[in-house]
Amino acid sequence: MFEIKHTLCPSCSVGCGINVILDNEEIVGTFPYKRHPVNEGKNCLNGRLSAENVTDRHPFDLKALNDAVNKLKSGSNEKTTVIFSGNNSNEDLEAIKSLCESNGFNILAYADNLKGFDSVASYEDIENASNIFVIGNILYENPLVGRRIVRAKNNGAKIYVNDNLENTPTSNIADEFTSVSVKEFIENNNIDEESVIIFNKVDSFEDLNLIESTNSNLLPVYSKSNTKGALNLVEAMSKEDAIELLNNTEILLIFNDDTVNEIDFDFKSISQIVVFSPSENDTTEIADIVIPVKSWLEYDGSFTNCEGLTQKFSSLCESDYMSITDIIEKINEGLE
Amino acid sequence: MSYILAKSKDNAILEAGECGGAVTSIFKYLLDAGIVDGVLALHPEEDIYDGVPTFVTDSEDLISTAGSYHCAPTMVGDIITKYFSDKKIAVAVKPCDIRSIEELIKRHKIQRENIYTIGLNCGGTVSPMTGRKMIELFYDINPDDVVSEEIDKGQFIVELADGSEKGVKIHDLEKQGYGRRDNCQRCDVKIPRKANIACGNWGAEDGWTFIEINDEKGQELIDGAKSAGVLETKNPSKQSVEARSKVENIMIKMSKKVQESKFDDAEDMDAWKRCIGCYACRDICPICWCHENCELNKSYFKDELNIPPEPISFQGVRLSHMSFSCVDCGQCDDVCPMDIPISLIFDKLQKKYYNRTGYIAGVSDDIKPPLYSPDKIEL
Repeated sequence: MFEIKHTLCPSCSVGCGINVILDNEEIVGTFPYKRHPVNEGKNCLNGRLSAENVTDRHPFDLKALNDAVNKLKSGSNEKTTVIFSGNNSNEDLEAIKSLCESNGFNILAYADNLKGFDSVASYEDIENASNIFVIGNILYENPLVGRRIVRAKNNGAKIYVNDNLENTPTSNIADEFTSVSVKEFIENNNIDEESVIIFNKVDSFEDLNLIESTNSNLLPVYSKSNTKGALNLVEAMSKEDAIELLNNTEILLIFNDDTVNEIDFDFKSISQIVVFSPSENDTTEIADIVIPVKSWLEYDGSFTNCEGLTQKFSSLCESDYMSITDIIEKINEGLE
Repeated sequence: MSYILAKSKDNAILEAGECGGAVTSIFKYLLDAGIVDGVLALHPEEDIYDGVPTFVTDSEDLISTAGSYHCAPTMVGDIITKYFSDKKIAVAVKPCDIRSIEELIKRHKIQRENIYTIGLNCGGTVSPMTGRKMIELFYDINPDDVVSEEIDKGQFIVELADGSEKGVKIHDLEKQGYGRRDNCQRCDVKIPRKANIACGNWGAEDGWTFIEINDEKGQELIDGAKSAGVLETKNPSKQSVEARSKVENIMIKMSKKVQESKFDDAEDMDAWKRCIGCYACRDICPICWCHENCELNKSYFKDELNIPPEPISFQGVRLSHMSFSCVDCGQCDDVCPMDIPISLIFDKLQKKYYNRTGYIAGVSDDIKPPLYSPDKIEL
């Protein structure tokens, strides 16, 4: 049976909707979700490929889960660290946080050297702004936020872009383009409270305080679908602090994250790495134990996008795997 | 070609259908008689702005597809190619849908004998979120309170649950940047005459569907539905036929005006500079079907340093491959994350091609566009 079902794109924090095509209950492609308020049927390439990128997983193996629990039992809780990734739903993150708190595990929330902010600009704020300051190639990397910048420009906004690459889609719409440090960009421009600053990268964690000191409307655009949700629960770490914590880690639990491609660290120095993942990636390659879990297409949950909008998504197909919340329940039972 | 007025004999369909429920009843006949495996049509998922293609195999479920959805700018040509090539189906088609199907038949991607095409006259479609915004702004109505909408007599009309209606002139909406999608404003094919039948309310008496029977298969459909007792018909008056023709001609005239005013904008589009090379325009295009062998997949086109790509080396390649077959469905505009009005230049070139060759994509009877014809002539 041919079906088209609504879901959310998991590719970044913009919060786009996407339709998934099922043919005889098998996911075969994506289809524009034109009724979705965030993206109106427009998706980037990552979004369009998101459903097809859910790869086959090894069968669920209870023994592997028991092995993981035994490692946790025999290890030191202070030396156990859990990666708190924005790839997980709010519900799974609650469960992960609870697991960490009840056992005294360390939480590592790394968000590309970005952090959470109490108040952020909405997409409507972008379209209504007069001056927009952009750090990074937002049009290319987060096109559906980039589209809001284009619309703001069409509404008469002045666009200032700072990036290390020239002749990008973002630099090409700039009224003023610079290629300086974030510090210089912020200090050299007259950024007032009415301005909007949109950024998906900074040079250092300290830059964030500088950006915050402008008192303007900020919109950090994270690389993962629910980083905003994750940072509503725990504080983000700088790259340096993340590396220091990893240096003091003997057991690393990674829930749905390709951590090895995000933090430049010798992960082989960690005694035990247990990965819970809905797909195979470079991190599952180096793991000691891999436990396959449901992908976002196979469970109910919610993501909070970078403007703070929490949107629910529903399971679209049957799965033989367990969700991360269910896995954590099993781990908790094993640790009792 | 002949004309009839038709209406459903099923009260539930009559109630749910747009104007007489003939389309839904014909689908019911095709399913119940086992002539097709299923019906591809739209049904509202979240609300009336959220029309989603659905494949109905049980005629009891057809009622959810009854009615028209002007805020659901979908395209079925590529869906049929990808997912229904091995099935016998009936499908509801707007003019751009049937034009794409015709072009895909020429490319051997769809088998004509496998499909029954029920055409829907089309004055244009509105993007769902644009529709919601304009209802808020120009009608002072909560878009969630609207139970149905229609385009009639130059107005976009919404109906509320209490039966009250409010209309605003499409011309006024479009002057403010709302209303129909850009490609629909330019479109000059309003009646899908390549479909087996073309249905609509233009020229129809209240409660009846005006049907133009376009071919033998269309006549068989009507005769079959009547014999099965699901449809009653009568001949339209001369005035009805003339009224319908008048509506069509006025709409075509308006479209030609828009074409004249907009085509010059395609000459020097600054918007190409924000192209992110995501290929959404190519991938959604119902005519561009050979993605796997596409030249644009070559590594030198995929280089991030080539983003934005030079328009001539990206859209130029696409234009040279298929602009003569562009059916102006506007799907490329709809999915472009950067809001680049891509269809403008493709439509402009198709019209230029028509001026030289007389070939209208998905409308002309020629087996293939002249460029592919074995009988090449010097132009």
